Amino acid sequence: MKLKEYQWGIILVGLVLGLMLAMQYRSSKEINETPPVARVQTLVNEINQKREERNQLQKKVNQLREKLDKKANGQSNTTREELEALRIIAGSKAVSGTGVEVSLNDSNVALPAGQDPNLYVLHDEDVLRVLNELKAAGAEAIALNGVRLIATSEIRCIGPTILTNKNKRLPAPFIITAIGNPETLENSLYMKGGVVEQLKIWGIQVQVRKKNNLEVPQYTGPTTFEYAQAPEAE
Amino acid sequence: MNKTLYVSITLVSLVMGLMMALQFRTAGRVDSGVPYDRVQLLTTELKQLEKEYANLLIEASDLEEKVAKAEKGRPEASQAVFDELVKVRQLAGMTKLEGPGVEVNLAPIRREPEQGDNLFTVRDEDLLRVVNELRASGAEALAINGQRIISTSEIRLAGSFIDINLTRISPPYSVLAIGSADQLESGLLIKGGLVDTMRDWGVSVTVTKKPSLVIPAYNHRIHLEYAKPLKEAQ
Repeated sequence: MKLKEYQWGIILVGLVLGLMLAMQYRSSKEINETPPVARVQTLVNEINQKREERNQLQKKVNQLREKLDKKANGQSNTTREELEALRIIAGSKAVSGTGVEVSLNDSNVALPAGQDPNLYVLHDEDVLRVLNELKAAGAEAIALNGVRLIATSEIRCIGPTILTNKNKRLPAPFIITAIGNPETLENSLYMKGGVVEQLKIWGIQVQVRKKNNLEVPQYTGPTTFEYAQAPEAE
Repeated sequence: MNKTLYVSITLVSLVMGLMMALQFRTAGRVDSGVPYDRVQLLTTELKQLEKEYANLLIEASDLEEKVAKAEKGRPEASQAVFDELVKVRQLAGMTKLEGPGVEVNLAPIRREPEQGDNLFTVRDEDLLRVVNELRASGAEALAINGQRIISTSEIRLAGSFIDINLTRISPPYSVLAIGSADQLESGLLIKGGLVDTMRDWGVSVTVTKKPSLVIPAYNHRIHLEYAKPLKEAQ
């Protein structure tokens, strides 16, 4: 039998079709078998459930604290006030008040030729210095992207995210909420030769907004020490 | 003859179009789907939540015990409140703490008058970085030259001295940290890490592990003016 021209064409098309079919089959099989798709679903469910449980427990803890504080109320005002103030310092109480919101973001200036792009990216040090400046200006409670910072909170850049309170990963943009005197806080950042001016050299975007009512959540980490303990009475 | 040709080509194009559409959709799913490291991210988040949950459980049972005690009677109530106060004082940094940890000593070494020694003195940023590194390695309590670092403590150049807690400290600087001594030490001494860099700048840094050290209490008055406890939404 002599094959006609168009028959050759059909054979070619059929060949290509067969190849595509096989590939299609394999790739769709691969997708369904990769761990992410299946595992992520279960993980997300588990996380949501755990988060719900945690929030419930957190609520219970808060209520218990309040109950105990009420008992303190029955005794003396100074005890109650001390408890309240120390809880705020320790971070175990959510607070509200006036203050500033500082947002930090990577540089938006065009990179000068031959310059190290690393210089124009927000570093952990920059965030540290802004926080330090706010503390120096009398900030009473500080949160970074809604995570309360306490005496032992570190700031660490891991790729484009910041790691704080050991395991909390925060994505950009970074928003620092600080409660204190809004004027003082703002002025301390904008001071001549101050942090904002220095960060501007690298084009890091800093915005400071004064706010009348800010909320800073409570610290959710451990409330017990593993290594430290009260010294023996001398 | 031409008719068969057209029919078969139509058929083949139809099937091909369908396949392409299908292929496109699966490919789209892969793109918008889950990169592998996301699974890792979610796993860390879950772990974090589980840790927080465990911590809250400890806290809740502790509080429950105190509340139960407080309900027994007046003397028990005052004891329970006092216990809580002691605990919160410890968390806030108002008490001395004892435990294993490290002592970090910083002093400038390379002082050549003709070069100007400004670059080679220990700056506030250096201390800030050391403290941050120690926090990241799990320090539970920190102090510099006798000044306890609490959540509102600043480390800041004021004039030619460094102020911590609005108190002037002067070189040489000694940073104390309670925590796992090995972890704290290795966090600082890691190759290409903080201590390496600072030594390159001509700062003499020594890190000493201590089986036991005492960190002083915060010795200033707490004065909160702006932060008010947030009322829990019922």
